[in-house]
Amino acid sequence: MNTETTTAGLGRRQALRLAGLAGLAAALPGCGRGFGGKNDDDGKIELNMVWWGDAQRAQFTQKTLELFHAANPDIRVRTEYQDSSPYKDKLAARFAASDPPDLMAMRFDSLREYADRGTLLDLATHTDRLDLSGLTPQATALGQVGNQNFGVPSGLNTIGFVIDKSLTDKYGVRIPDGDTWSWTDLATFAQQVSKASKGKVYGTNFEAFTVANLLVFARQRGEDFFTADGRLGATAATVTAWYQMIESLRAAGGFPPAGFIDQNNGTSPAQSYLAKKQIASQIIPTNNLLGYNQACGGALQLLRIPGETQATRRGQSVDTPALWSIAAKSKHPQETLKLLNFLVNDVQAGKAAGATRGVPPSTKVAEQITATLEPDNRRSNEFLAALQKEKLPASYPYPVGASKLTNILKTISTEVEFKRMTPAAAGEKFMTDARKAIAG
Amino acid sequence: MTTLAPARTRRRQDRAGYLFLLPWFGGLLFMVVPFFASLYLAFTHYDLLTAPRWAGLANFRQMLGDATLHQSLRVTLVYTVVSVPLSLIVALAVAMILDRGVRGLAIYRSIYYLPSLLAGSVAIVMLWRYIFSYHGIVNDALAWFGIQGPGWATDPRYALGTLILLHVWTFGSPMVIFLAGLRQIPAMYYEAASMDGASPWRQFRSVTLPLLSPIIFFNLVQALIASFQTFTQGYVISNGTGGPGQSTLFYNLYLYQKGFAEFDMGYASSMAWLLLVIIAGFTGINFLAARFWVFYDN
Repeated sequence: MNTETTTAGLGRRQALRLAGLAGLAAALPGCGRGFGGKNDDDGKIELNMVWWGDAQRAQFTQKTLELFHAANPDIRVRTEYQDSSPYKDKLAARFAASDPPDLMAMRFDSLREYADRGTLLDLATHTDRLDLSGLTPQATALGQVGNQNFGVPSGLNTIGFVIDKSLTDKYGVRIPDGDTWSWTDLATFAQQVSKASKGKVYGTNFEAFTVANLLVFARQRGEDFFTADGRLGATAATVTAWYQMIESLRAAGGFPPAGFIDQNNGTSPAQSYLAKKQIASQIIPTNNLLGYNQACGGALQLLRIPGETQATRRGQSVDTPALWSIAAKSKHPQETLKLLNFLVNDVQAGKAAGATRGVPPSTKVAEQITATLEPDNRRSNEFLAALQKEKLPASYPYPVGASKLTNILKTISTEVEFKRMTPAAAGEKFMTDARKAIAG
Repeated sequence: MTTLAPARTRRRQDRAGYLFLLPWFGGLLFMVVPFFASLYLAFTHYDLLTAPRWAGLANFRQMLGDATLHQSLRVTLVYTVVSVPLSLIVALAVAMILDRGVRGLAIYRSIYYLPSLLAGSVAIVMLWRYIFSYHGIVNDALAWFGIQGPGWATDPRYALGTLILLHVWTFGSPMVIFLAGLRQIPAMYYEAASMDGASPWRQFRSVTLPLLSPIIFFNLVQALIASFQTFTQGYVISNGTGGPGQSTLFYNLYLYQKGFAEFDMGYASSMAWLLLVIIAGFTGINFLAARFWVFYDN
């Protein structure tokens, strides 16, 4: 046998083995995944449910799903989750690939992006399967576009102001009355903290680019940031006033200097400047109170947003971090509706989920689980329950294109922070860019 | 055992070769299909959720007036023009030092090469972000001298510079290639030059540079193409926003935003084709210019 044939022979055998492996590898994902909820080998119907969040939320979600599986042995729910920013991109890609999940967490600012393009199931036509009678009209309105309904709040929240009492005690600063304080009170408070700590701790910091913050400020000035028919209702004057207020906070020393805050630092409580004790107060979504309080050592006080009693009208509203939506192309809409109905109305499911997505949207469920919650979650639940009883302005789904606004505001905020743009110019710039973003 | 006829052996070998190539042909599908799909999508309005609508040249016309696109081009150009020569110079300098027969060369080579492997990774960019943050190591060091450093990654005046520094630090892969090139230069040239009384600088200019020019050219073209495609660094340091204030908004980052965050895949596709044209243009210019400075020994 000469060397040449040996190599050729070996090569061929190896090649065949290799080709076999390649074929196997190609076939594997096909049988392993079970795209978009088809019937599995064991006859169970498989639903795909996707959401964003962390490992802790995953634990809570899994617990609720185990309850669902026990009650519905013929349905299996396969979940996927990740951080919020890759989630958004991946969801769009899955729709583009005609492989939408059956049940999905939907960003409030993206609802109309999907709904207006006909990709979501109209839940209003399925009231026989999905009971939404336990929700307040305000909570139901969060998923409504006209007469249609494309989402159920996965949990309710609002924004609140937290102040670290361990720091104010340390520096001998009095915390203002959280129910009646004004923006001026905030400025005075922030300045006192910065001064007393000799610049080691800044009195306050909040994101100038978060739409939810600016939205409350606009309402207090009598404007709807977004109108019911999906337009931009805020004016340049409001955006200007917002930046003027922040700039004067900064100039007085109550707000950190330019460049101090990394606006892309991440949003987890553990990474926050509050947890690092570099600032004494900030705005947070109320469903994160537990996480923030744990990260800060347990001395956080929860206050309302300043200006609520002085303003022309109320600014705060009952909102949601995410809605549950069902894909219009779901292969198993009935079973998915069943799952959604379970998540919304089952008390045991509500107990298992805790407050990881905010206060349960159904007031019945919310009332029954409050006693079982941890003190911090109970605090934010009660905060929201009290708020729901007040007369508040409605919150409308963000218009198509609104998801671009955060980036626009981030850019403008940086320009103002480094004095490359005046607050007045920022107001004008925002109007130009926002109108363009929302128009097309 | 019988010896096989040469023709049969050849055929068997061919067949084996094609079998080995099969995965490549399979992989090619994943290139060719998106290639033509993106060419088609470049001429449509496509929001990912509904079917693409034919738009003709509308996307390309929109590019002319898109200030953000122009900003992203500026960022990418500044980054390329500054970081590519800088990193090549550092790479060559380190390669020449290592070429001088340092003891434990293999170790040094690995140490210097390591950043190249890691720098594109998310972890390193995160680390970088911490080192250069307002409260990071760099500012702590400056504080010893009583200087309050800026937010290197949070101040729009410094953020791109910080990323350029990160890029220069990753000189490892061109360095390894330079090192190989330096090893190819026959020692007799240097011996002859020094006998003629040429200074080290003169030797570098008249022997090293011309003989290394094909390697420099190769590294330059590679680095340029890679630089135009920068994405990870900008994405991670700004959480995908291109901030602070659009100062790290690389072209590819903006393209990604358009396609996946703003539901405008048609526009993103047309941007991808513009990038192809730009890179082809720069590479073409390089090849034309190469005639005047690249010297092939044989």
